[in-house]
Amino acid sequence: MTAIATPTAAPRALNRGVRMAGIGIAAIVIYTIVLWLALTGYTGLPVEAALPVAVQQTVNALSIGAIYALIALGYTMVYGIIELINFAHGDIFMLGAFLTVVFTGGVLGQTGAVRDVIPLILIVGGALLVTMPIIGLLNVAIERTVYRPLRNAPRLAPLITAIGVSFILQNVAIILAGTGDRAAPQVFPLDWQIPLGGARISVLSLFIFVVALSLMIALQQFVSRSRLGRAMRATAQDREASALMGVDLNQTIALTFLLGGMLAAAAGVVWGLRFGFVRFDLGFNSGLKAFTAAVLGGIGNITGAAIGGFVIGFIENFASALNFSRWSEFLVFMVLTFVLIFKPTGILGQATGDRA
Amino acid sequence: MKLTKVGAFAATGVFVFAACTTGGGGTTPAPAASGGGGASAGAGGGDKGTLKIAIELPFQGADKAASDPIKNGVRLAIKQAGGVAGGWTIVNTDADVYDDALNGAHDPQTGANNMTKIVSDADVVGVVGPLNSGVARAQIPISNEAGLLQCSPANTGTDLTKPPDSAKYRPAGKPNNYIRVVTTDDIQGPAASQYDYETLGKKSVYIIDDTEAFGKPVADNFEKDFKSRGGNVVKHDAAPKTTQDYVSIMTAAKALNPESIYFGGVTATGGARILLAAQQVGLGDVPFIGPDGINDGNGGTKDSFLNLGGAAAKNAYSTLAGPGTFDQKTKFDADYKTEYGIDATGYAGQGFACTQVILDAIGRAAPADKASAREAIRAAGTATDHTYKLIVGDVTFDANGDTSQHIVSIYSFDQSGAGGKGDWKFDTQVDYTTK
Repeated sequence: MTAIATPTAAPRALNRGVRMAGIGIAAIVIYTIVLWLALTGYTGLPVEAALPVAVQQTVNALSIGAIYALIALGYTMVYGIIELINFAHGDIFMLGAFLTVVFTGGVLGQTGAVRDVIPLILIVGGALLVTMPIIGLLNVAIERTVYRPLRNAPRLAPLITAIGVSFILQNVAIILAGTGDRAAPQVFPLDWQIPLGGARISVLSLFIFVVALSLMIALQQFVSRSRLGRAMRATAQDREASALMGVDLNQTIALTFLLGGMLAAAAGVVWGLRFGFVRFDLGFNSGLKAFTAAVLGGIGNITGAAIGGFVIGFIENFASALNFSRWSEFLVFMVLTFVLIFKPTGILGQATGDRA
Repeated sequence: MKLTKVGAFAATGVFVFAACTTGGGGTTPAPAASGGGGASAGAGGGDKGTLKIAIELPFQGADKAASDPIKNGVRLAIKQAGGVAGGWTIVNTDADVYDDALNGAHDPQTGANNMTKIVSDADVVGVVGPLNSGVARAQIPISNEAGLLQCSPANTGTDLTKPPDSAKYRPAGKPNNYIRVVTTDDIQGPAASQYDYETLGKKSVYIIDDTEAFGKPVADNFEKDFKSRGGNVVKHDAAPKTTQDYVSIMTAAKALNPESIYFGGVTATGGARILLAAQQVGLGDVPFIGPDGINDGNGGTKDSFLNLGGAAAKNAYSTLAGPGTFDQKTKFDADYKTEYGIDATGYAGQGFACTQVILDAIGRAAPADKASAREAIRAAGTATDHTYKLIVGDVTFDANGDTSQHIVSIYSFDQSGAGGKGDWKFDTQVDYTTK
C-alpha cells in the first residue's frame, strides 16, 4: 500500500499493481452480483432482466466513483503534506467544470455530440490540457497567497480560511456565470454503447473510468518514483527534517497543490461530459463526498483516497439502483460513521499520531 | 444576502423620500379629480397620496425565469390602471421588489425576512407573491399579523388555504389576509395524471420528486389519482436538489420500463437535470410531465427548463394551475409584447390578476388616510361576497382565500415556438370547478 509517507521499492511496484487490479476486479464483480441479487429480491425484476441492469449500474458507479476519487486525491495529498483540510478543493473542481464549458463551448464552439473519433479526442484532450494547468496554477496561487502566510498559525486558522476561500470561489462563479444551471457541452456521444448480453455499456462511462484510472496511476508513479515525489513523501513524513535535508518546502507544497488542482480539473472536464450541466454550488456537495471518500480511505493516503472515491460511488449507486435515492446521502454517511467507529484511521490509513 | 441589504437600504431611502413628498402634498391641494387623469405612476395621479404594491418573488437562478413574467404582469396591471386606485397613486418601484432567493434558489427564511421589511413599510397596502409555497408558509404568519393583503400568483400548496392546516399559518388568529389566483396541488397533480392516463393513454408511470415542500405533495397527489384510475405506478423515488448522479437514478427507472415519467418539483431543484439523464439512458421517447415548476419560459429564457433541456425536451409536458386560455388572453399577450418586447409566459397573467385584485380592493375600500388604508384594503380584498372581474375570468375567494376558479391547463413542447428555440404550447385545460 502506498501511503504517501511510506517509501516504496520500485521492483515491488508491479506485483502490487497486479494485486490491486485483482482486488479491484473482484470488488467490481462482487458488487455486480450483490446488486443483481438485490434488484431481483427488492424491485421484483426477473432474474434474467436484472443482470444487465446490474452491469449497467456497476459501470455508472465506476464513473461517478472515478470523479469522486479524482477530487478526493486533492484533499488527501494536501492533508498529507500540510495537515490542512482544504475545504475550497471542491470549488476548484467546480471551476474546472466551468472552465471546460468555456473552452469547449465558447472557444471551440462545440455544443453537441462529436461523432468522429479524432476530433473528439482532440476536443476532450484539449479540454484536459487547457483546464488542468490553469486550474492547477490557480490552486497554487491560492496556496501562495492565502495558506502560506498561515502555515505556522494554529491549525484552526487555515481551516477557517479554507472555508472562506470556498465562499470566494463560489461567489466568483456566481458573478461570472450566475446562479442557475449552465448547460455543459456533451461532446462525447451519449448513444455510443457497447452491447454486452442485454446490457448496454456506455462508452463514456468507460472513458471516464479509464481517464481517471490513468491519472491515478500516473500520480502514483510520480509520487513513488520521481525525485519531486520523494520530496513530497519526505515533507509529509517530517516537514522540518526534510527541510534540513535540503528539500525546498515551498516548492514541494506548491507542487502538491498543483497536482491536486490538476486532478480536480480533470474531474471537472469529465463531469460536464457526463451530466451536461454545471452550477456554482457543484463543488460543495461533490467536495463533501470526495472529502468523505478521503476520510473513508484513510486521509493522507493516495491509494486510500482512490478506493474511498469508488466506495462512495458504489454506495450512492446502490441506493439509486434500488430506487432509494432519497437515502443515498444517509447511506454514504452511515457507512463513513461505521468505518470510523471500527477503524478510525480509515480503510488504508495508519495511526496518524498527532495529526487529526 | 448583500443584495437584500442593498434593497433594504434603498427601501428605507424611498420611504424617507415618500414621507417627505406626502408631507408636501398635504399642504398643496392637488388639482386632479379622484380617479381621473390616468397620469403615469408617481406623477400625482391620485390626490390622496401614494400607496405601494410590493412584489416578493425569487429573482435568482432558475426561479428568476418564473418570477420575471409575474413582475412584468404586475407592472402592466398598474400601468393599465393609470397608476391610480381609490383616489391614491399606486406605485411599484424597484425598491418595492423583494428577492427571496438565496444562493440561486428560493429560501423561506429570506422570504420571511423580506416580509418583515415589507410590513414595516407603512405605504405598502398589498403584496404580490411569493412564488413558492414553502416561502408562503414562512411569510403568511408575518403578513397575517400585520393585516397586509397578500395575493400569490403561483402558490399551489394545498395546505395554505385549507383548514385545519391553514390555521397553522395564521397563529395570531387575525382575519384572513392571504388569497391566491391559482388552484391547488390536489387538483394540479390529478389533472396531470388524468392527461397522462386518459389523453396520452399511458398506463404506467415512474414518479420522481425533489423531496421539497412543493414537489413531494404534488407528486403524491399525482400518484394517488393515477392509481385510482387503475394506472400502474412503477416506482415513486425522490432525489434532493443536491443529488450528483441522476444518471444512475434514471438507469434504475429505465429498468422498470415506465410508459411515462412524472417529476414533482421545479427547474431549480433538478427538473432539467433529470430530463437530460432520462434522455441519456434511453427514456427520451417517454413523455416527461411536470407541474408549473417547469413551465418557466421558452427555450430562449435563461435558466428555464426548456433552455436547459434543449432537444431532450421534445416529449415534455407541463401544467399551470390556472387557465391557459381566457377571453382577454389575446389582448393581454399583445399588450405584454408591446410593453416588454417578449412573449408572456408562465404566470404573467396571474401576476396581472393578483394586481387587479389589489387595485380593485383599494378602489372599493377607498381609504381616507394611510392609517386606516391597510386594514380597509385587506377587508375589501378578502371579502367573500365580491365577484372580481379578473383577466383570467370572474372569480370569488372563499373565507380561506382560495379562488373559485379550479382550472388546470396542460402545455406540450412545441419546437417551432419562440422562433425555433422551443416553447410551451397550450394544449388543453381541465375545469375541476364542480369538484
